[in-house]
Amino acid sequence: MATAFKVEPAEPVLSVQGLTTSFRVSGDWHAAVRDVSFDLAHNETLALVGESGCGKSMTALSIMGLVPKPAGRITAGRIMFEGSDLVSLDREAMRRIRGNRISMIFQEPMTSLNPVLTVGFQVAEALRYHRAMGGAEADRAALDLLEQVKIPSAARRFKDYPHQFSGGMRQRVMIAIALACRPQVLLADEPTTALDVTIQAEVLALLAELKQAYGMSMVFITHNLGVVAAIADRVAVMYAGEIVEVAAVRELFRRPRHPYTELLLRSIPRVDRHVSHLETIEGQVPSIAAMPAGCRFAPRCPLREARCDAPPPLAGAAHHVVRCWVRSEGGGHG
Amino acid sequence: MIRYIVKRLVFAIPTLLAVLTLVFVLVRIVPGDPAQTILGDQASQEALQALRQRLGVDKPIFDQYVDFIKGALVGNWGESLVTGRPVLAEVWAVLPYTVDLTVAAILLGALIGIPLGTWSALHRNEAIDYATRVISLLGLSFPAFVSGILLLLAFAIELRWFPVISAGKLDDPVERLRNLTLPAINLGIIMAAYVTRVTRSSMLEVLGEDYIRTARAKGVPDRAVIWRHSLRNALIPVVTVVGLYLGILIGNSVLTEIVFNRPGLGKLIVGALNQRDYTMLQGLMVVYAFLIVAVNLITDLTYGFIDPRVKHG
Ligand SMILES: Nc1ncnc2c1ncn2[C@@H]1O[C@H](COP(=O)(O)OP(=O)(O)OP(=O)(O)O)[C@@H](O)[C@H]1O
Ligand SMILES: [Mg+2]
Repeated sequence: MATAFKVEPAEPVLSVQGLTTSFRVSGDWHAAVRDVSFDLAHNETLALVGESGCGKSMTALSIMGLVPKPAGRITAGRIMFEGSDLVSLDREAMRRIRGNRISMIFQEPMTSLNPVLTVGFQVAEALRYHRAMGGAEADRAALDLLEQVKIPSAARRFKDYPHQFSGGMRQRVMIAIALACRPQVLLADEPTTALDVTIQAEVLALLAELKQAYGMSMVFITHNLGVVAAIADRVAVMYAGEIVEVAAVRELFRRPRHPYTELLLRSIPRVDRHVSHLETIEGQVPSIAAMPAGCRFAPRCPLREARCDAPPPLAGAAHHVVRCWVRSEGGGHG
Repeated sequence: MIRYIVKRLVFAIPTLLAVLTLVFVLVRIVPGDPAQTILGDQASQEALQALRQRLGVDKPIFDQYVDFIKGALVGNWGESLVTGRPVLAEVWAVLPYTVDLTVAAILLGALIGIPLGTWSALHRNEAIDYATRVISLLGLSFPAFVSGILLLLAFAIELRWFPVISAGKLDDPVERLRNLTLPAINLGIIMAAYVTRVTRSSMLEVLGEDYIRTARAKGVPDRAVIWRHSLRNALIPVVTVVGLYLGILIGNSVLTEIVFNRPGLGKLIVGALNQRDYTMLQGLMVVYAFLIVAVNLITDLTYGFIDPRVKHG
């Protein structure tokens, strides 16, 4: 069941092994994330890409221990981080990791900050809980963080409320919150999707810069492959809750193997138009309650064959794996 | 904040004028001659004319309006036709009772309703939640005079902890509190039921918000997620409901006042209605106009304290 792919010889910072996260839909549990495995190396950026609803956010929320209860829960797998399995940690131990060793940034900057608390307080809060800093000390550190994420005249805006900030500025505040305790791992869930194109580029550049400065590893979730090319080292493509292909970013762009990846690459938005939905692939992702028994992509796949009625394994050489009967056979590229 | 308060105060003035105008129109709209209505069919022409003069209804309508607004604003609300005492004095005599009762009912409602509603929301669809929802529904649908009589029977007549007649003096704080307890509980139950239900539903909504997920992702402990991050946001709709209900409460307290034999604005109105005390009624409508504007003002100021978006908006 658990299949881990060691790409880097060094010990991974985070190792997700056979993760399955399920939701209860009209009485039955269905997997929204199924048998997902990946390793994250030190200072590496892994992009998690795929259409809407394919389980990217649930994968990240599973790592954070924030799967919405009681509708959903992790039903199988391990998430190894700093010597412990996050899946089996108790609430309090998990709380001490969240926002401290592993942080997450969300897609919706407009609604992700608390409207009744000042921006400064919301940044300082992580430091109060994880670093046991007092009020003044935490405030000073928070101000420093706001300056690092390049909020103009941060000192003056420290006591402002989120509604007084633009979307781009709010996402910078979210980044400051996430980085407050210098985490090992940053999970960025479509952090720029809701922003204007120019602001998007600025926030991406800021993230890349801070990741380097802090020596973090990052899981960058997006459905925009244009962004992937700019920021990622390695890419994992997800479809219908499963990882269908993993490869280094150049390798994936040059030699995509999975038919779904190919179609995704063909639908890359050009720089001059902003496309947030991939409309060029025909058909829809099956709902989690109605997954095909065999290959989950088969109903939409141009290469479909009879053997695709059985579920394909994730296979191939370590640097490039693919979940496809047709494309994995003899599929090495030297 | 100061600027916001001043702004709200200034905005309250046109509202007050509008409500007073409405009162004026309502009173004049009543068909027939008020003097005739008060004195009956057998009254002599002289008596009618004298009363019209006393009421000021013999003047042109615009002059009446100006007199009315001026009078209302300076507290000159006319005299009771029955007792001859100024309306202001009558109101002033019972106002402390009404204020005591209203404030106590709201405090009880908030102190019981907010924690209970929060607790219920946190245990959504568990036994606790169902129990709270059923009990609060009962609290809402139970008639105030029945619960009042039950309270009287149990705590005043049977146990003798509290007086049967709550009309005692105001200058002794202990007695004042003893007189207040049962009526306040009686009204507080209804208030608590309202607040519980609103807090529960608004808390459930807030707990699903993105910023609560952010707080959890930050590693904020559950207790702080609830009290600091959720409750303040959840209170915004609660303030609205309490504000709306406050107006109703002041009027609805009449049943409680009658059951516990307690003076108050509600009883003053019923008395004036029974005795066809026309000027008293008009004066009381003015009092209500002021109360409504005051309640709105308090509600707005409370919003300002809870929600920073209101202040800057
Ligand atoms: N509360 C829930 N109850 C039932 N199913 C859910 C729930 N939340 C998510 N799911 C299911 O989990 C699947 C994965 O959702 P997820 O949010 O991870 O997708 P995503 O890849 O992040 O998509 P997007 O690009 O739209 O953010 C969805 O198809 C959805 O059906
Ligand atoms: Mg998502």
